[in-house]
Amino acid sequence: MPDQPFPSDGAISGRGTAGAMHLAASEAETLERPFGGRAPVEPEPAAVSAERPRSLWSDAWRDLRRNPVFIVSGLIIIFLLFVSLWPSAIAPGSPLKCDLAKSQQGSAPGHPFGYDGQGCDVYTRTVYGARTSVVVGVCATLGVAVLGSVLGALAGFFGGLWDSFLSRVTDIFFAIPVVLGGLVLLSVVTSNSVWPVIGFIVLLGWPQISRIARGAVITAQQNDYVQAARALGASNSRVLLRHIAPNAVAPVIVVATIALGTYIALEATLSYLGVGLKPPSVSWGIDISAASPYIRNAPHALLWPSGALAVTVLAFIMLGDAVRDALDPKLR
Amino acid sequence: MLLEVRDLHVEFRTRDGVAKAVNGVSYGVDSGETLAVLGESGSGKSVTAQAIMGILDMPPGRITGGEVLFQGRDLLKLKEEQRRKVRGAEMAMIFQDALSSLNPVLTVGDQLGEMFVVHRGMSRRDARAKAVELMDRVRIPAAEERVRQYPHQFSGGMRQRIMIAMALALEPALIIADEPTTALDVTVQAQVMDLLAELRHEYAMGLILITHDLGVVADVADRIAVMYAGRIVETAPVHDLYKAPAHPYTRGLLDSIPRLDQKGQELYAIKGLPPNLMDIPQGCAFHPRCPMARDVCRTDVPPLSEVSEVRGSACHFWRECLNG
Amino acid sequence: MAEAILEVSGLVKHYPLTRGILFRKETGSVRAVDGVDFTLHRGETLGIVGESGCGKSTVARMLVNLERPTAGAIRYKGEDITRLSGRALKAVRRNIQMVFQDPYTSLNPRMTVGDIIGEPYEIHPEAAPRGDRRKRVQELLDVVGLNPEHINRYPHQFSGGQRQRIGIARGLALRPEIIVADEPVSALDVSVQAQVINLMDRLQNEFGLSYVFIAHDLSIVRHISDRVGVMYLGRIVEIGSDAEIYDHPTHPYTQALLSAVPVPDPEARAHRERIILAGDVPSPTSVPSGCRFRTRCWKARERCAQEVPALAVPSNLGGPGGGPAAHDSACHFAEVKRVVLPEPMP
Repeated sequence: MPDQPFPSDGAISGRGTAGAMHLAASEAETLERPFGGRAPVEPEPAAVSAERPRSLWSDAWRDLRRNPVFIVSGLIIIFLLFVSLWPSAIAPGSPLKCDLAKSQQGSAPGHPFGYDGQGCDVYTRTVYGARTSVVVGVCATLGVAVLGSVLGALAGFFGGLWDSFLSRVTDIFFAIPVVLGGLVLLSVVTSNSVWPVIGFIVLLGWPQISRIARGAVITAQQNDYVQAARALGASNSRVLLRHIAPNAVAPVIVVATIALGTYIALEATLSYLGVGLKPPSVSWGIDISAASPYIRNAPHALLWPSGALAVTVLAFIMLGDAVRDALDPKLR
Repeated sequence: MLLEVRDLHVEFRTRDGVAKAVNGVSYGVDSGETLAVLGESGSGKSVTAQAIMGILDMPPGRITGGEVLFQGRDLLKLKEEQRRKVRGAEMAMIFQDALSSLNPVLTVGDQLGEMFVVHRGMSRRDARAKAVELMDRVRIPAAEERVRQYPHQFSGGMRQRIMIAMALALEPALIIADEPTTALDVTVQAQVMDLLAELRHEYAMGLILITHDLGVVADVADRIAVMYAGRIVETAPVHDLYKAPAHPYTRGLLDSIPRLDQKGQELYAIKGLPPNLMDIPQGCAFHPRCPMARDVCRTDVPPLSEVSEVRGSACHFWRECLNG
Repeated sequence: MAEAILEVSGLVKHYPLTRGILFRKETGSVRAVDGVDFTLHRGETLGIVGESGCGKSTVARMLVNLERPTAGAIRYKGEDITRLSGRALKAVRRNIQMVFQDPYTSLNPRMTVGDIIGEPYEIHPEAAPRGDRRKRVQELLDVVGLNPEHINRYPHQFSGGQRQRIGIARGLALRPEIIVADEPVSALDVSVQAQVINLMDRLQNEFGLSYVFIAHDLSIVRHISDRVGVMYLGRIVEIGSDAEIYDHPTHPYTQALLSAVPVPDPEARAHRERIILAGDVPSPTSVPSGCRFRTRCWKARERCAQEVPALAVPSNLGGPGGGPAAHDSACHFAEVKRVVLPEPMP
């Protein structure tokens, strides 16, 4: 019993964001003031004027900058973005220039990662594979975030029949096994581009965000400031856009960041299974798939794309974690 | 003296700086006595209690000085394991929010009985019988049946009784009650306060009552310690303090509450805000809000001076204050 | 007495209890407010006291049209506002504003103080010309005792008491005639409570406001109110002037409530009679028959279980015009019992 969490004394909280402690301003109202007159203006203490206004985002940014997890994952992601925009900057060759004679050979000068089964340069292919992963990850996340948060926010805001309907629909989507769904749906697609894969991920991913957004909107809606706006006569769109959305967006961002990593992994999985991208497209999933039969003879051909994939996915998940720590109001 | 706190200092390290929550608090409580620790949010009243119980979150909290003498031993020097034995068995705590202090997935009987199983090594069956007895003791009707119910099936007042029963289970020598009735309605508050006073008498325990409510204090306390910015500013027997406060903060508090028995004019309002714990004013922490403040108050921290044998005031001008 | 500005009659709010997810079935109802009548006069403060769950906050939400009543009428200057919508409702809203309990959740943390207090003007552009708004907001900050230069700060940079002042400034922006305050000081520290109460008192005089002041703290309600209504389980059980209610309470619930209030005077411990009520408030889903207080009342008899006592001046207390005891009280066996004793002056 005595080890239970303790209701703290108000102003003292672990991370010290509770209101009263920030401001030493003295609130002036004394008895001497004539009844009905203006209250004297509070004096401005020096300590306060030095402090600039802080919002959730600037607070979060302060936290993030000091978080080593954020710095490491951030650097990896920046490098990844750079590589996917300008792959030729660090890999001068072409990923499609292969020489069967060099099949499964180890590293050679200028070809540090060696060659895969087709005799293609593993280094160049790993570098070029980043682009596919980033495009799929970013586009799928954007699609999922937009679709999911709009549908979820409307469900949470209006409630009623639309909410019940949408909740059942999300239940149905949650029941679909992702890989099996991918095998069935994507196997009928003949186009060899990233868009069907992205479309599939959006189709299956939006319910996750929609649920988060719905919950966040419902939570934000219970705040008195939403009631206050309504009591003033604010319209629904004003309440939703001005009061609810800015206060509900944080959890959506956190989940979307973590999801980005998993979407990259999903693309690789689908490509590995042969229903995502297919050669001659370049993707880590394709390379892992192609290299796995030769794992005994040429482990390097499997190792490098798998390693790149693992590091990338991990970086996004770590970023999401760091962002959650910085944004989660429950920890504050 | 059952419990004696000597010159306790506690601070919290936060990312915005060091908050000095407790700055040299000393108080004591005897067996059979009720000490009320009165203060507003941020006064350090709860933090002091957490330090006594040994349930302070460390970090960010840190005890930077002082002693907590319980039956002669300094608790702060004990190992965590020894401390755990003291907690619950020899001193217990009652919290404000009974609902979150009880485990929602265990019946109240299991939670009450667990005390006996863990500390006394009783069998489940005996512990259950003890639980029923305790629920009877805190006047929960139909204890025999209700012992199988879950916390959410009880009303707020009943849950607070269960918390009291839990605190009493091992017949501790000291109970610390932190705002035990703040979350309750007035009529239920009266029931719980009465129960607490009666039990304290029955078991001859020491009781530390932490509250912000001057009314509750007047009803049950023997002695009061008023806290402000982590210090005790006034300590006195309850009758003396209400009759003639010896510190301007106490006086201000008493004057600023509306009366039930008469319709007043404009209320006296203590000007300004409670201090920022990261930047406590120099000298007397209360001086920016004090109507009596003079130059010395801005520079010198007033010690807790002896007003009489039984009371003290940390004000340079307590004589003036006492005389109104 | 001044003209009646707000007349509430037969106000009822029931929340249906439903089962099922897609096909909802009604299984009962929570009778949060169950027939409330009162009148608010211009320039007065009507206090409403009661314990948690008595329906006082629901009444407040209906007064400002955040909640539509199940039945009954709220007449503002003779017009029933519960049936209004669209432009007519928006116009009425300008005149009835609300101050909320929790200064931490009632201000949008993403908006500056200027945006928060200025929002009423954006919603009602006719209330102030665009160029004037910033000046008006600064005036309002000044009126509630805050520094007008703090217009660009965020709510978390203020303490609880200061935030409550911001909430009051927002409520004042449209120059309403009525302010409904739902526990406006209960979240504040004792020393700051007095500041906010004094501010509300001053603003009432300055702007000729009428207040509906809802609180559970009986001392504060007495201090600020001209008339007081006591609620129990969705109904007003007794209503009258502050002296009538506090010095001559005739309903047993009022008497118990008053006697339970801890008084900051240790001398009173000995000679004060405490009425300790048995048990808990019944659930609003299963309200007792007849008088809803009878399950906890020490006076309850046969009649209380059968007849609902009307809120009227009890005939045994002299009928209308019979002194301070003769005020509306919903009890079959009403009689005066003085529980708040005048304290000896020190």
